[in-house]
Order: sequence, then structure tokens, then C-alpha cells
Amino acid sequence: MENQVSHALAILEEPVQYVCLLFMASMYAIKIYQLVKKPFPPERAELKGDRTAGVIQSMANIFRPWGMESSRKNLYFYTEFMIFHIAVALTIGSTFFIPLTPQLMTPTVSAVIMVFMGLAFLIGLRRIYRRLTAPEIRIISAPDDYFAIILMTVFFAVGFVTMYLWIQGKPETGWMWVFFLMTTFFLIYVPFSKISHYVLYPFGRYNFGMVFGGRGVLNRASHDLSWDPKLRK
Amino acid sequence: MSELQEKAINTEEEPQWEKLGTQEERKWPTKTEFTPEMLVEMEKMLPSKLNRVVAASLAGCIHCGMCSEACHYSVSIPEDKTLVPAYKADRFRKWYKYRYDWMAKVFPSFVGAKPLTKELADEMYDKLWGGCTMCRRCTFNCPMGVDYGMMVRAARHIMQKVGRIPQHLQDTVDTHYNHGNNMAVPQDEFVETIEWIEEELQSEDGCENFKIPVDKKGAQYFLTLNPREPKYYPLTIQATAKVLNAAGVDFTISSRYWDLTNYAMFNGDDADAKLFATWQAEDVKRLGCEYLLAGECGHGYRALRWELPNWVGGVPFKITSVMELMAEVIQQGRIKLDKSVWAGKRFTYHDSCNIARSGGVTEPQRLIIRACVDDFVELEHNREEGFCCGGGGGALAMPEFTPRRLAAGKIKADEIRATGANVVLQSCHNCTDQLKEIIHHYKIDAVVMNLAELAAPALVL
Ligand code: SF4
Ligand code: SF4
Repeated sequence: MENQVSHALAILEEPVQYVCLLFMASMYAIKIYQLVKKPFPPERAELKGDRTAGVIQSMANIFRPWGMESSRKNLYFYTEFMIFHIAVALTIGSTFFIPLTPQLMTPTVSAVIMVFMGLAFLIGLRRIYRRLTAPEIRIISAPDDYFAIILMTVFFAVGFVTMYLWIQGKPETGWMWVFFLMTTFFLIYVPFSKISHYVLYPFGRYNFGMVFGGRGVLNRASHDLSWDPKLRK
Repeated sequence: MSELQEKAINTEEEPQWEKLGTQEERKWPTKTEFTPEMLVEMEKMLPSKLNRVVAASLAGCIHCGMCSEACHYSVSIPEDKTLVPAYKADRFRKWYKYRYDWMAKVFPSFVGAKPLTKELADEMYDKLWGGCTMCRRCTFNCPMGVDYGMMVRAARHIMQKVGRIPQHLQDTVDTHYNHGNNMAVPQDEFVETIEWIEEELQSEDGCENFKIPVDKKGAQYFLTLNPREPKYYPLTIQATAKVLNAAGVDFTISSRYWDLTNYAMFNGDDADAKLFATWQAEDVKRLGCEYLLAGECGHGYRALRWELPNWVGGVPFKITSVMELMAEVIQQGRIKLDKSVWAGKRFTYHDSCNIARSGGVTEPQRLIIRACVDDFVELEHNREEGFCCGGGGGALAMPEFTPRRLAAGKIKADEIRATGANVVLQSCHNCTDQLKEIIHHYKIDAVVMNLAELAAPALVL
């Protein structure tokens, strides 16, 4: 596919995006710095388990729906979660692929991305409904939570239509403008919103893996009697 | 002989009776209300409590609600949505966000941030003392790895420091501080009790030569106890001592810092926690023992095995538990057990959160049980996935929250009932008391017992 667009849209698609991306990266760098400069709680006890293995398992938690009861018992929710987040990655990715490597955005690739966007849009609608109606979710929801999910859902809808028009050979449409304006907004807004949770995610999982991996709670086979270092030899 | 044992044996004996605990007694000034001055103090303290895990836990919640079905409070009391973990943690998180969230600097209510007001502090008090046992079951079900144990403990400490803490919980810590154990058992009375238990033990068939050595220098294991045992459950000490004697374990009990509990783990006060841990670590060194041996006590096990080395900055001895030692001697064939003693009874086991989820000990208990009984049924949720019984986190020392504590025990009661067990086994004194209460409250026909009490009658001597 070719990306023949006006000079104005080209500016929005590339330099503006890069500046915003740089801004986002700087904000994340500050956020991460503020977190890692805090001390990690010490663990001077003789470990029962392997902290590194714990961290690896904890980090891989996202691909282990059986690892947590909350996902094991809600596989539908977990599947939604996976589709939604794959769609996020693909949608953000397409904002780079379209201007930079338009040849990669073949009708097939674009169609696959569209499928994910469409599904993510429906999931987004369901998540908004859930947040509004499930009492245990509603009670913990702040405006930021609603705004984030609504924003993402609209983004998927816009992305879906944009991609459809792109497949039709229409690289410069009003939808494409909205799509890239939204992306620009995201890059600036996300570091201040709950959507930035993906930056904190590895830290939370790392902390969990360190604490519970070291204590031998993770990676423990049920028949494993290696709880006593003496018997381990 | 280890260096520690040798040094202890060659050291002159100290005076036998001494004042345990601190020389100057203390009564922590508790308050019944948050005042503006207290809120100012809390604001000053907040930054010091934010280690990396606490900060990531406060910043990282995405309000996904996946923890809602993980908590025994929210599962047992579904009509009260303010008991879902994220809501409870948000009482603290709102304040944190108000101070540290970038968006909150401009639009605080947009991200749910709130300044620390008396109302918010009151909610923190209600939910983080009386609505969370720091059991970390939600943590294990949280995709973001939010650590409720560390986060809630940090909040509790901030409140405790300004005096806003359930009175009885602080009294328990103060008693430990003033007397060296949390029930103010004087040294002479304790030693007399142990001597009496030893006599009782020796009157059992086949136990004539069994001993409960007090202050034996160079013993391999330094056995610690929960003060409820010498006070109310001496038979538990007798049962433990019987198993250890039968296995030929070289152990001793100190006449001084034998109390393995550390309620400062619950009120969050690291200075007191460190003090109690130091007393015990020094006492192990005094007797030159190779192992510090935690008796059957949930938070006590965690306080010794996992927290004590951090509080005192490392120790020259090893730390283990009676559960692990009993399993080891069974595995090594050092004791023989006759299952027929328990024939006709069905058993289940409740995992203390501090031993299993926060402690990593789940299998030794099962090995002991399977060696003692034929009819053992697991609870629906077990090991690190077990629900808290509701007695953790110092909940039993907060009588003002008793109705909620009992209501929160419903899920555990339901699971016990579903096993059809006559005996609920466990390895923790707080669990014992809570399980007894909920079994009575929910009218379940079962008794509660710990593992030494299970093994001792089955011993073939
Ligand atoms: S730590 Fe335990 S009691 Fe506290 S909110 Fe989580 S599950 Fe509930
Ligand atoms: S599961 Fe974790 S991230 Fe989700 S609401 Fe609970 S604490 Fe927050």
C-alpha cells in the first residue's frame, strides 16, 4: 500500500508523533527513576526458593491464565483482556507502520488488525458497561477509569474505520486525521493517566516474583520436599 | 560443635531471674480520634513508608476488580462492596495520589485523589485495621502484583505512630515491650509451668525419660512458643515436647525470650519489631543453638523465618519450624506413628496465610497429616490459595471489629463444612481461636487441633 498524503498530514504522522513520543518516553523515564530510586525491601533470610525463577514466572504471568485463580475462573475475561491488549499493540503499531513502512500494511495485515480493533471495540463497550453496572467495579472507579476505557474504545472504532478506508486505497481521509490526532493526544496524555499502567506492570510483577519466588511460594511442585535445605542436597 | 555452641557453653551463667523486656515501662499514647495535628504528623511520615514495593502497589492499581473475589471479607460479606480489596486500599491510595500523582496535582478528583482529611483517615482506620488481615490472597490474584501485605502495613504504621490504633492490639505490643512476652508471663512462673508440663509428660506411658530442658546451652534447637500455650494451652507444649523427645531432637526452651510472636508485624512498628526480634536473636546466641525453631504459630513463623533476619540485619543461626522438623523426623524414620489412633475421624487442614502464602511452607504439614491419618480431605482452596480464616493481621486483638471478623469467616466455615471433617487441623494460634469461634458461630460439628496434638497421641513409643 502507498501512503500518499498531504504535507500537513505527513507532518502530523511523523515529526509531530516523534516529538510527542519523545515527551512520553521522558515522562516514563522520570516515573521509572522516581520508583527505582526507592529502596527495595531487604531480604536477609536464607531463601527457600529462587528469586530469579520467581521473577521470570511472575513476569510470564500474563501468559499463564492458570497461574491466578482470578484468571483461571474467568477465562472469558482473560481472553478479552488478551485480545484487548493485542489490539492496543497493533493499533499503536499501525500508527508507525502506516507512515514508515506502508508496504507492510497489505490488505491481509490491515484486515487482521481490523479484526482485533473491531473485537477490542466490542470488548471496550462491554468493559464500559461492566464499570457502570457491576457494583464492586463501580465503587472503585474514578473518572480517569471511565475516561481511559471510553477513549480506548473510541480509538478502536476510529482505527477500524480508518483501516477500512486505507484498504480501499484512501490514505488521507478525515478519519485518518482523527486517528493520528488521537494518537498524538495519547502520547501526551497517557503518562498522566491510568493507561500508563503498562510501565508499572513489570515493576509490580518483578516485586512479586522477588518476594514470593525467594520464599519458595512460586515454582513449587506439590510433591516437592525441598523445603528444608538439608534435604535438598 | 559450632562456634556459637562452644561460645555459649564456655560463657559464665547469668543471674537466673531477671526483669525481661525493657527496664522502663511504656504505655503507647493511643487516641480515639484523628486530630488536625495527627494528620500533619501523618503527612510527614508518608514519604518514609514508601519503599519500592509500597510505592508500586499504591501507584499500580488499575481498578480492574480481579481481586474482588479473592478476599474473604468481600466473598463472605458480598452485600458490603466497601470490603472489596481495591476499595479498602483506595482509602490509602487516594491520599498517596493526592501527594504524588501528576494528574492529581491539577485534577485530583479526576484520578480519585483526596487530601488526608479526618474523614479519609477514619475510613483508613476502619478498612485497614478492621477490614484487612494482610493475608495477601488478593495480591496473588492481582495482575499488577499489588502487595497488600506491605501496603497495608505501611498505612497501619502511619496511623499507629500518631496513636490511632485499636487499643487492645497496641496493648499486646506494649506488654511484649514491657515484659518480654505478649502475655506478661514472669520468668519464674514460666519456668514453673514448663517444669509442671514436663512432669505431666513424664507421667504418660513410655515418656518417663522425656525432658523439656530449659536454658540448655549448646542445644541444637531453640524452641519458641506462643504465650497462649503456657497460659491456656499447656497440652500443646506437652504434645510438641513429646514428639521432639520421641524423635531424639536435642532442643531447649529459653527461660527468657521464648515468645515467638511479634505483634509489631501487625501494627507496622519496625522499631518494636526489631527490638523483639533482637531479644530473641540474642537469646539464641546466648544458648548457642544451631536452629531457632518456630512453634506452631502463623505470624510467629513468618516473623522469625522471614522478617527477623531483616530486622536484626542477619543472624548466625538457622531458622526453621516445628512443622518442618516434624516432617523431617517422620521422613527419616525417627518416629513411628500409628494411624489407628485416629481411625473413624475425618481431617482437614487450614493453611495459615503467614505460613503458606507468605511463608512458603505447605507440604511438610501434609506429610505429617498423611503419616498420622487415613481420612484427610483438602479444603476447596488450600496451600497458598487458601482463604484467610479471618483471624490474621492481629484481627483477634481488635474486639471492636469482632462482628465483621466473624462474618468474614463464613467462606472458611463453608469450606470446612463441605469437607465433612470432624477435625480441623492448623498450625497457628490466631487461626485456632478464629476457627474455634467460627465453627461455633456457624454451628459446625468439628474440633480444632494443631499438628503436634495430632502426632503426639499417634506416637508408637
Ligand atoms: S490482604 Fe487479604 S484481607 Fe486484605 S484485602 Fe487482600 S484478601 Fe482481603
Ligand atoms: S486486582 Fe490489583 S489492579 Fe486490579 S483492582 Fe485489585 S489491586 Fe487493583
